[in-house]
Amino acid sequence: MKFLLAFLFSVVTLFASDATIEIVKKVDSLPSLAIEDSSTVDDGTFRMKFFKMLSSDLNVLSIFNVEKRYATVSFDASSVLVENKDINYVLRYKIEDAIGGKYNIYVKMISKDEVVFSKKYELNSQKIFMFSAHAIAYDINEFMGEDSVEWIKRRVIFSKLVSAHNSQLVISDYTLSYQHVIVSGGFNVFPKWANKEQNAFYYTSLDGATPVLKHLDLKSSKITNIKAVDGMIICSDVSEDGSKLLLSMAPTGQPDVYEYDVKSKKYKQLTSFGGIDVNAQYMSDGKIAFVSDRMGNPNIFSLNPKTGSVEQMVYYGKNNSTCSTHGNYLVYKSRESSELFDQNTFNLHLMSTKTDAIRRLTAVGVNEFPRFSIDGDAIIFIKNYQTQSSIGVIRVHHNKNFLFPLAKGKIQSLDW
Amino acid sequence: MKSILFSGVVAAALLFSGCSSKDPKVEDDSGASAASSYSTTSSTPSSSSESVSGGLSEAELKAQLITRLEGELQTINFDFDKFNINAQNRSKVPANAGILKGEARGLTTKLEGNCDEWGSDEYNMALGLKRANEVKKALVAEGVDGSSITMVSYGENSPLCTEKTRECWAKNRRVDFKLLP
Repeated sequence: MKFLLAFLFSVVTLFASDATIEIVKKVDSLPSLAIEDSSTVDDGTFRMKFFKMLSSDLNVLSIFNVEKRYATVSFDASSVLVENKDINYVLRYKIEDAIGGKYNIYVKMISKDEVVFSKKYELNSQKIFMFSAHAIAYDINEFMGEDSVEWIKRRVIFSKLVSAHNSQLVISDYTLSYQHVIVSGGFNVFPKWANKEQNAFYYTSLDGATPVLKHLDLKSSKITNIKAVDGMIICSDVSEDGSKLLLSMAPTGQPDVYEYDVKSKKYKQLTSFGGIDVNAQYMSDGKIAFVSDRMGNPNIFSLNPKTGSVEQMVYYGKNNSTCSTHGNYLVYKSRESSELFDQNTFNLHLMSTKTDAIRRLTAVGVNEFPRFSIDGDAIIFIKNYQTQSSIGVIRVHHNKNFLFPLAKGKIQSLDW
Repeated sequence: MKSILFSGVVAAALLFSGCSSKDPKVEDDSGASAASSYSTTSSTPSSSSESVSGGLSEAELKAQLITRLEGELQTINFDFDKFNINAQNRSKVPANAGILKGEARGLTTKLEGNCDEWGSDEYNMALGLKRANEVKKALVAEGVDGSSITMVSYGENSPLCTEKTRECWAKNRRVDFKLLP
């Protein structure tokens, strides 16, 4: 009896949360939301920037039909604006000046003439206003009882190609509105957060005679050389507790997957096939997903590090490279068109490791470098379409994609 | 309920501003020593004519040699998604090997593997490296000392051209030869 119940339960939860099933929420079945600005700060440009960011964040939540119009009202007005009287939720906020060039932001949400949510936020500088908007959207999402969107508050780190042999390592928010160059003047690629706290990261420096894997501690600004090796060295993944790294290294010109123990500084070679084995990712079942061309074309495989056995994971497509994993899901990039350089050559696919069901996530352009968010709710990726380089965000359970273009330069790789 | 969310971010932002730019590695200052040796020889006029014409330092001479030889070494190009050396490029290997065994003897050869723009991910970096490795193997087969060769892959990150044409992509799929003192 217990077994039967457990089995039924697992079947129900599987189908309830299988993100490979297309989820299409009809637009008119989402509750409507309008924004009312009660800010008292003088700077009109700041007020408009804040409104646009908050509006965009609430739209990305994908749980409201967000009204686009901008309207102002007194924060203490007893009822919503006339044009909003039929709207399900009205989000009213007030940015006011505080001491020392800081700001207070008061937020309340009104539904059916009642205040259902209220909170105060402190903003220390206009430069980081977008993080306030992200925090408000996060809290509203939590209030509405939806799956957590922790990723909306996290920082992205990316390598931006400025010119040949010259890149910058930049930290940004998920919309690229906030950008801070951390390392410039060199040729640095493949940055990877070293921990959940996002206060350190690994990256590969190609400046010297040989590639070097480096570690930068943001608190101390200290840069440590982890390993210099001929050929290539890239940090592909970091274990959840930050104690181990999966590296792609090629000390003798032979690219293989290695595991590195941060404390003991010892390396362990995990693959030994004579072709290309790279891009390893830790999976929740203890196995490791990686990209290999052992069947002739690049494809996604899984390795059991205890037994050494390797299994093919993806059976569709002739060229599947780059992958990221979270829980039971794998996202990978696939070259779909048989024409070498067709318009929609590279697209992202989501696969469940439990059901083998696959869902295509993108439609046009060169879509690559997918990375699951820490909570698995979103996938971030790089989209290069014609001459535009953008960060894309896919809401895994909402069947929606959002794009945030980069003004100048090209994104080489990213992590969040 | 107060929500003090940003002091951490601002503190971090302030930290970041303290390390926002890192200079690339500084080259050795052999240029300075060359200048001082030059000024020393020019202070003795009787022997100055011979010293001035031969007044370049060893480092400067090496740099000139490297520039000339790099101009003579031929770039090897590759087919899409492939790392084997095709028929059209095979003849470049013995020609390059001749230079490396001859005038370039004593210098380190750096093979730089490159790809076209179709993917900046790890697989492409590895493909660039496999290209460099195939060239290394071919050079060793021609008698070049393997220990004098280092390799790096730049993937798609070091393009010669950026037009979205097949000709440009073909140009970027390559292994370049660089020489190090």
